[in-house]
Amino acid sequence: MSAPGASGARQFWRRLRTQRAALVAAAVVALLVLVALAAPLLTAIEGQDPTTYHPSLVDSARGGVPIGSFGGVSADHWLGVEPQTGRDLFARLVYGARVSLGVALAATVVQVVIGVVVGVAAALGNRWVDQLLSRFTDIIVAMPLMIMSLALLAIVPSSFPRPVLVALVIGLIAWGSIAKIVRAQTLTLKELDYVSAARLSGWGSWRIARRELLPGVAAPVITYAALLVPANITVEAALSFLGVGVKPPTPSWGQMLTAADVWYQAAPQYLLLPAGALFVTVLALTVLGDGVRTALDPRAASRLHVGTGRKREAKA
Amino acid sequence: MRQPSVIARRVAAASVSLVVAAGAAACGPEDNDAKSAGGDSTPHKGGTLTVLNSGPQQDFDPARLYTSGGGNVPSLVFRTLTTRNRENGEAGAEVVPDLATDTGRPNKDATVWTYTLKKGLKYEDGTPITSADIKYGIERSFAPELSGGAPYLRDWLVGAADYQGPYKDKKGLDAIETPDDLTIVFHLNKPEGEFPYLATQTQFTPVPQAKDNGTKYEQHPVSSGPYKVVKNENDGERLTLERNTYWSASTDAERKAYPDKIDVRSGLDSSVINQRLSSSQGADAAAVTTDTNLGPAELAKVTGDKDLASRVGTGHFGYTNYIAFNPTVKPFNNVKVRQAISYAVDRSSVINAAGGSALAEPATTYLPNQKSFGYEPYDLFPAGKAGNPAKAKELLKEAGYANGLTVTLTHSNAKDFETSPEIATAVQDALKKAGITVKLQGLEENDYSDKIHNVKTEPGFFLAHWGADWPSGGPFLAPIFDGRQIVKDGANFNTGLLNDKSVNAEIDAINKLTDLDAAAKRWGALDKKIGEQALTVPLFHPVYKRLYGEDIKNVVISDWTGVLDISQVAVK
Amino acid sequence: MNGFGGFALRRLVGAVVTLFAISVIVYVVFYATPGNVAQITCGPRCSPAQVQQVAEQLHLDDPLYVRYWHFLEGLVAGQDYSTGTAVQHCSAPCLGLSYQSDQQVTALILAKLPVSLSLVFGAMVLWLVLGVGTGVLSAWRRGRLTERLLTGITLAGVATPVFVIGLVLMIVVCGQLRLLPFPQYVAFTDDPEQWAWNLLLPWLSLALIEAAAFARLTRAAMLETLAEDHIRTFRAYGVSERSVIGRHALRGAFAPVIALNANNFGSAVGGAVLTETLFGLPGIGQELVHAVDVVDLPVVVGMVLVVGFFVVVANAVADVLYAVADRRVVLT
Repeated sequence: MSAPGASGARQFWRRLRTQRAALVAAAVVALLVLVALAAPLLTAIEGQDPTTYHPSLVDSARGGVPIGSFGGVSADHWLGVEPQTGRDLFARLVYGARVSLGVALAATVVQVVIGVVVGVAAALGNRWVDQLLSRFTDIIVAMPLMIMSLALLAIVPSSFPRPVLVALVIGLIAWGSIAKIVRAQTLTLKELDYVSAARLSGWGSWRIARRELLPGVAAPVITYAALLVPANITVEAALSFLGVGVKPPTPSWGQMLTAADVWYQAAPQYLLLPAGALFVTVLALTVLGDGVRTALDPRAASRLHVGTGRKREAKA
Repeated sequence: MRQPSVIARRVAAASVSLVVAAGAAACGPEDNDAKSAGGDSTPHKGGTLTVLNSGPQQDFDPARLYTSGGGNVPSLVFRTLTTRNRENGEAGAEVVPDLATDTGRPNKDATVWTYTLKKGLKYEDGTPITSADIKYGIERSFAPELSGGAPYLRDWLVGAADYQGPYKDKKGLDAIETPDDLTIVFHLNKPEGEFPYLATQTQFTPVPQAKDNGTKYEQHPVSSGPYKVVKNENDGERLTLERNTYWSASTDAERKAYPDKIDVRSGLDSSVINQRLSSSQGADAAAVTTDTNLGPAELAKVTGDKDLASRVGTGHFGYTNYIAFNPTVKPFNNVKVRQAISYAVDRSSVINAAGGSALAEPATTYLPNQKSFGYEPYDLFPAGKAGNPAKAKELLKEAGYANGLTVTLTHSNAKDFETSPEIATAVQDALKKAGITVKLQGLEENDYSDKIHNVKTEPGFFLAHWGADWPSGGPFLAPIFDGRQIVKDGANFNTGLLNDKSVNAEIDAINKLTDLDAAAKRWGALDKKIGEQALTVPLFHPVYKRLYGEDIKNVVISDWTGVLDISQVAVK
Repeated sequence: MNGFGGFALRRLVGAVVTLFAISVIVYVVFYATPGNVAQITCGPRCSPAQVQQVAEQLHLDDPLYVRYWHFLEGLVAGQDYSTGTAVQHCSAPCLGLSYQSDQQVTALILAKLPVSLSLVFGAMVLWLVLGVGTGVLSAWRRGRLTERLLTGITLAGVATPVFVIGLVLMIVVCGQLRLLPFPQYVAFTDDPEQWAWNLLLPWLSLALIEAAAFARLTRAAMLETLAEDHIRTFRAYGVSERSVIGRHALRGAFAPVIALNANNFGSAVGGAVLTETLFGLPGIGQELVHAVDVVDLPVVVGMVLVVGFFVVVANAVADVLYAVADRRVVLT
């Protein structure tokens, strides 16, 4: 039986293609990314932008609730307008996708890179390296994310681009769990026959890590990362809620959710739009994550269907 | 005023305007809609009043409290030499006697003020209240351990500038004399006709020296008012007040004290408070809030519901939100640029961002639009409802910026505060039409507060707000425009760095007046005169709307505080 | 149990080192945050002279290492402080006094901790029940409508910020349907029944956020186990499906669920800021955010340490449970 990953990208794609749900999810994710990238174009077609105020479209005497049905939906404003300001909601939603997806993906990448490097290094290094890195991971895990974000975001000068900063802060603080998962998984893999065999045949640590371990680590990491992206979107929302997220007038889904929660009764669509967008994103990413995992880890997949996997004596 | 927390700001999320500080006077026809609520049923004694608040009463030491007119909950426990008149509207902006027999007897030039205490005043333990206790209460507010109060006593009392309070300096302040148990005399270093207003603040509460336990005093301050503290949990998170049997209505014309018990619960989210008040279930039917306004979203819901609408109290508090310029920073050193921006501002979109026309009124004067401030309407740079970009462009051209101008507007990142990103964005959007490109610089609240109040780091163009410590032009104009109040090495509030001899002289002249109506007129005129320099662009005055429970009776909302007065409320 | 003794000792040393490092990091980070602490404490209208007095009072002018040294001294030996009228002793381990309220930080923590623990323990039970239950059901009903529905619901939990879930739940359940009163914290020791009723919505809100991760973890681990040889053997021998799922497959999910749970429990003690804020629960998270806001360093350090302590303890407990469940594992 060959080691996973050695079979290359072609095999991965072939396996992924066989899963219909994953393909649909991939299409949805691609569409979301496309919408985010094409935000200026889409809003140009609509003829609106995300920052212009339309005071005449809201009822000032009633707290600025949008005038008209469904939150002021019209040919000019496809999804209605924002309460109080009259800004176009479609424009804010698609521009918000840029920030939310961008920040969340970037933060996830930072988390995954740090987590994998630290986790693999801890598992493969000698006792001291492992102790040092594991302690460091413990410290990071034990730091309250929100509190440290609040402090760090306040320290950095306001001239630093905010979305980048938010992504970096989330990424730099919340990689502990990935590192732990990766370390545990690597330790398990290290004991497996094919890795031992590789080591016996004189492969170096780096080569073993790259060729044998990373593919095995990829499956749990991807599963976890698929949940991290939406979690990061909501962290950005929470930071907005606490007043330190991405700065206005830049829209983000998190910010929209934050501003909209009190409008749940007076202007429900204002809350439902970003909430729905977020839900679709999470769903698509999760299903895609599952599909990628299955495609990446054929042993797991094959076990599920044929039952020729390694025996886990511990669990009997 | 102490710093509100993130959570407190979030509170304001719904409410746009956070009242923490100061108070003022008269305006508007809406003052009396309280009557519709209290209307037919007469208030009776008894029952428990619940107070649902967002911010806990962390400071409950009279030395540390920064209030306008003695505060709301604190005023149930602390009596002061004078207090605010507990009446609806304009009449509520007057100062009236409390522990004292009158509002104070000045000498000829208003530098010496004498008060006589009423007879038979007692603390919650039955011991008599003496003038020495009031002197001691004021002295301990100078202790660095108990900082937090307003700056006026330190500025006004003779020899008080460097006084460190009775813990370090047992000798006390010579500026306060107590010739006998009922008399107290204050010696000021300059004429201050508005001293009676100052004597409403909690620092004028009697504190028995024998009971003073320093920073621990706030856990159980000794009551001189109608209620005493029986429980103070979690640093003011939950307060239970019950009747002080030694308090007598015959010596207190202001506090009605109908309920037997008051249960103050705090740490609640603003939207939850408003939801609970509107549902009005169980104990919430007899509930009010003393710190949470209706926000725009809730207003949209309330206005469509007759029952709810009848349970909204509306009030005005002397407060102005404005754009401030630092004329030492280019291009704002050019008065034409400042005028151009004044013309370009679109107040209707700013007001929408602040919660709409029901929660904010357009401001063209720096002074609040109320009589006790001496409000004199003026609109020196008429922008109309939506701004006058044509006129602004013209002025910019004269100033040498025919091709437009790029400027940076500094604001706080604190959400839904009056200096919030939403207001800044509305200004940005309006100035675009006049060819002015506005870059936004949002700072964290602490950073923002540090920067705008430091002459070395003050930005050229920023959002600001001011609330008066009592309903008069004095505490509104003097800290902001008196050239002698520019602080070079600390927190400076004269952000326009105005040091105009004639303005300074007029402030001194008005402070000599002890006829407060005459003083008010001259404050109004001075406001207009300063307005000509276009150092600020007034944006809006907030309007406070608050819900109360179904069983609440006798709702009184003065123009001093703009909010329901808890000492008047009945639940039966 | 020599092995266990060694494990406990190593863990203890590790915890002390971790908490020590955290305190240093927090000191440095908050030292660098903008905001004139003396001015904030004194009030914005304080004169420069007054601000100076407050700074001296709080030793804010001392260099960072001196202040940190005082902190360590207080921790080990306690600390005397003046209330103005008397000298009080804050006994070791003393975390200092709040700049803002002059209260002992240890007293503040003791007041807030029961609230946070009440919230998190209850929520933990719910998220385990919801998450593991959903996971089991979806592994069992794999590919059917039940699974899709359950997956959808738990994912909605992940996708919606707690302030939205909580507010909507409250408006619907308490405001419109009037099934429950609006939550307000009642101490367990005062009235256990009211304690539970009042915490039900906060528990649910927090649990909905966390449940999805457990559901996915459980499902994945169970599917993996179900596919293993010995399970096939059981099935072949006619062991009932219920028994296969309940006794054997579920055991496979035990370890990862414990690990994730330890992690989430620890971080929720200080991280349930938004839930606490929304429901007005006077817990650690809410107090921490307030303290960060006014740069109240002693409170921030004290509370972050307590939160860190819970994370460390939760992880150690998870390791022990893991070892108990799986005798092969050596505690390190």
